[in-house]
Amino acid sequence: MSRVLGELAVLDDVGPPRRGRAYPAAGATSALLLPALLLLGGLVAWPVLRTLHASVTTDGRWVGTEHFRTALAAPGTGAVVGRTLLWALVVPAVVTVLGYLLAAASRRSQEGGLVRLILVVPTALPLVVTGVTFRLMYDPDPGRGLATLVAATLTGRPAADAPQLLGPGLVTVALMSAFVWAWVGLAVLVFRAALDAVPPSLADAVRAYGGNRRDVLWDAQWRPLLLRTVAVVFTLAALGTARTFDLILVMAPGSVRDEASVLALRVWQTSNGATTGEGAALGVVWLVAVAAGMLVTALFVRQAWPPPRDPAPVGPDPAAPAPRRATRLLVAGAAVAWLVPLGVLLATSLHGTVDAAARGWWWSPPSLDSYRDLLTGAELWRTLGFTLVLATTVTAVVLGVALLAAYPLAWLTGPPAQATGLLLMAAAIVPVQVIAGPVNEVLGVVLSSGTARGLALVHVALGVPFAVLVLRNAFADLPAEQVRSARVGGRHWWGTLRLLARHNRPAVVAVAVLEFVQVWNDLVVGLLFSGPGAVPLGLFLAGQTRGFVANSGALAAGSVIASILPVLLVVLARRQLVAGLVAGGVR
Amino acid sequence: MTPVGRATPAAGPSRRTLLRATAAATAATAAGCSGAPPAVQVAVVWSGGELARFREVVAGYGAGVQVISAGNDIDAFLRARQLAGTSPDVAILPRSGLVIEYARRGWLRELTPATSYALPPGMSDLLSADGRRYGVWVKAAHKSLFWYLPSMLPAPPRTWDQLVTLTRRLGARARAGDGPAPLAVGAADGWVLTDWFENVLADVAPPGYYEALARGEADWRSPSTHTALDRLAELWSVDGAFPGGGRRALLTQYEESVIQVVHHRWATMLFEADFVDDVSRRFRRGPEQPETFRFPGSRVADSPLIVGGDAAVAFGGSARGAQLVRWLSGGSAFQPWLRAGGYLSPNVSVPLDDYRDPVRRRLAAELRTAEAVRFDLSDRLPGPFTGSDGVGIWRIMQDFFADVTNGVAAGEATRRAVGQLAAAARSTGGGR
Repeated sequence: MSRVLGELAVLDDVGPPRRGRAYPAAGATSALLLPALLLLGGLVAWPVLRTLHASVTTDGRWVGTEHFRTALAAPGTGAVVGRTLLWALVVPAVVTVLGYLLAAASRRSQEGGLVRLILVVPTALPLVVTGVTFRLMYDPDPGRGLATLVAATLTGRPAADAPQLLGPGLVTVALMSAFVWAWVGLAVLVFRAALDAVPPSLADAVRAYGGNRRDVLWDAQWRPLLLRTVAVVFTLAALGTARTFDLILVMAPGSVRDEASVLALRVWQTSNGATTGEGAALGVVWLVAVAAGMLVTALFVRQAWPPPRDPAPVGPDPAAPAPRRATRLLVAGAAVAWLVPLGVLLATSLHGTVDAAARGWWWSPPSLDSYRDLLTGAELWRTLGFTLVLATTVTAVVLGVALLAAYPLAWLTGPPAQATGLLLMAAAIVPVQVIAGPVNEVLGVVLSSGTARGLALVHVALGVPFAVLVLRNAFADLPAEQVRSARVGGRHWWGTLRLLARHNRPAVVAVAVLEFVQVWNDLVVGLLFSGPGAVPLGLFLAGQTRGFVANSGALAAGSVIASILPVLLVVLARRQLVAGLVAGGVR
Repeated sequence: MTPVGRATPAAGPSRRTLLRATAAATAATAAGCSGAPPAVQVAVVWSGGELARFREVVAGYGAGVQVISAGNDIDAFLRARQLAGTSPDVAILPRSGLVIEYARRGWLRELTPATSYALPPGMSDLLSADGRRYGVWVKAAHKSLFWYLPSMLPAPPRTWDQLVTLTRRLGARARAGDGPAPLAVGAADGWVLTDWFENVLADVAPPGYYEALARGEADWRSPSTHTALDRLAELWSVDGAFPGGGRRALLTQYEESVIQVVHHRWATMLFEADFVDDVSRRFRRGPEQPETFRFPGSRVADSPLIVGGDAAVAFGGSARGAQLVRWLSGGSAFQPWLRAGGYLSPNVSVPLDDYRDPVRRRLAAELRTAEAVRFDLSDRLPGPFTGSDGVGIWRIMQDFFADVTNGVAAGEATRRAVGQLAAAARSTGGGR
């Protein structure tokens, strides 16, 4: 999820042609690109080419479109593609609308800050934890699942006939609700930044000409800024639906996997670790769809209104009318609705194994047994320690590689700058399931497949593109005087780079926090590339969901423990995150 | 030898050097977590308690052994390792189909088991490809058991017809709200349903047909398959058979189905393997221990006996690996696990007195006396047909279960399932 947050900057990049500064690129500094080029070339570009190759060959023999035809003709593929599209259209629409409404509604109210804080917490949770939380709520047994109990009471049917939220009919709706819960906070943050960036004078002007509420919305918000923000949020969420993979693995019981399946899952099931034949063909289809979606939005965003260069920081607008009752109800309702799943997770974690498995959390008194079992065992500590070392290392390396690469790239102007932007953007959105097999081959060449080193290397390669983009944009947008003084002050390129980094603290903080949280929260990279002795947190939790009910106490406790660090980081750094990512405009 | 080198031979060495350099430069800090130990590396599927027991077992081996838990997806793990040329010396695989698959690809080393290695018939020739042995069984699972609490079921059924009659009777009572449902089933896990199917098929099929299916040499569209599925439909379609009905059963995982019997007592009987006692120990209420009866067949005399198991293999040129596997195949290697309980040896030369765990001792005796021991069919099927969540025979059996519990006529449900089974067999290269 956090990786997609970075794509905000990615999309922003192809916006107005305001990037780049015509400074002579010293030949020597181009060598700074080398680490990033090696990583992206070896672990992203080359694997993508290998996947393309594998999709049209069998054991190196050309077979044309055979794999594509077989894969698309396989039973169920049509439904899977349709469901993937449904995800990419419906969920972003809901996230965008809810995000705008809540951002606008919470903006003027006293409790707005608290509500936004509540909404932001789910965005920082690992998707595995979100999955665990909603599976606990949607448990088909009304004695355990709060949502099932409520549904049974509301429909007035006996327990056996109550609607099954995890059953074949509703499982996709259940998954979508979990996804929306996790994403609305992000949309709210972005919309709030956009709304704050709209000069209040604009609204005053509209009102002065006799405009009503709707005119203010249309002329002072939508046309200047919101159109663009809506496009960005919609695309973010649409690209983010590629990550439903984690949710499906955790939430959908085996018997409804097919009813919940999307392309991400199908590619993983078909290619089985190695990327060949039909799996590669499906992967290529998916890759093309994602790239096309990205390009369309990039063009759309580019033609939109350029954001104001230097908006004054805006507080609550004193001239605005007091919030209506409906608005306040909406805000309060959202706060409660977003708190309930967190409460369910916490309450379940406060029960021992037998109590958590056998009856609902509201039946028995709380105990710390699940926490005690987890914390006294060695497994959780080993996993936590490993994940901490992994995330810290990856973050440090990504930051280093990206800072080096961003320095020479920031001097590019015109078409080369836009081309590098597009390439980096493309590299940032390649779904890792599609290139898993070839990446493993490359890792084999560097002798680190199935080891902690291999896992770290893949994380680094996947994290570098967006880090480079954010930092490059930040560097390129610095006022010319600052850059000039830095170049005069620092005798060497590294002196300049250090000064640039210091002037761009929000961008650096944003990159570091997002990379750390992304690695910490990851499931899919761990699933595809980790080996024995290298079990990251996401994989550790997902592994226990095989016996979900029997493990629910330990799972909930583990989920709570796993969430503390990312939630703290994101909540504390949320201002820098938005500032660093919306780069350009807001400084 | 790597595919990368093969695709562009000229660029191979330089890229390799470059990538190695990058790896060394960028990942040096993470390297603290791994190293190159001189010990023999063993990748296993086990985790938790089982992993700890296996560590105790290999502690008795002369040389150093490093046990690594690759988790449930050991297949993907080993493929990746093989692709990368970093396979472990030994792996313990959960399915015999994998052993054959790896052997055919030339990944494995031929093995000679210890002299004390003796198997029940039905397990002995499953790990050989082209007349060479590539694996040895190290752990067995007895998969023909019903579990029940004696206080809730005074007289267990002894034949299939008695089981159906009992289910109908208890089902009618459960519908009237006057007692627990007769059966708990974890139908959310496809392997539970395939285990049901295998037991019934082994009972109704003529000798040889079950084995021929497993080898991919028989047609799934046969009277035996139809009879077996019809029997399952007859039982599963009983109204009130499962707590909460069929819809609910499809969302019930295996562990939860055990909880339904031993904790909630919402159901009377549960079919599954000997490892049910592991879950039951954690969740049962009161001192009463669940007991077992054999999966009932057509006649009292020869009920089917389905076994599963884990097999050890040695990779590539690893002579040390082959030595360790030979040692594991001996009768005395697993003594620590036998003493701790929860372990059933596939090796019939292990004295029954070595079993401390009374359930396992009885099951070990059954392994020796059973007329026909059949090995788990779904574990032997090729490629994706073997099943996982939403895939292969797991999916087909779940669709069948959904059909028969949802009022689809038995004949129609069976016809659909047989068609799907035959199609899956064809598309994975087996069957006819």
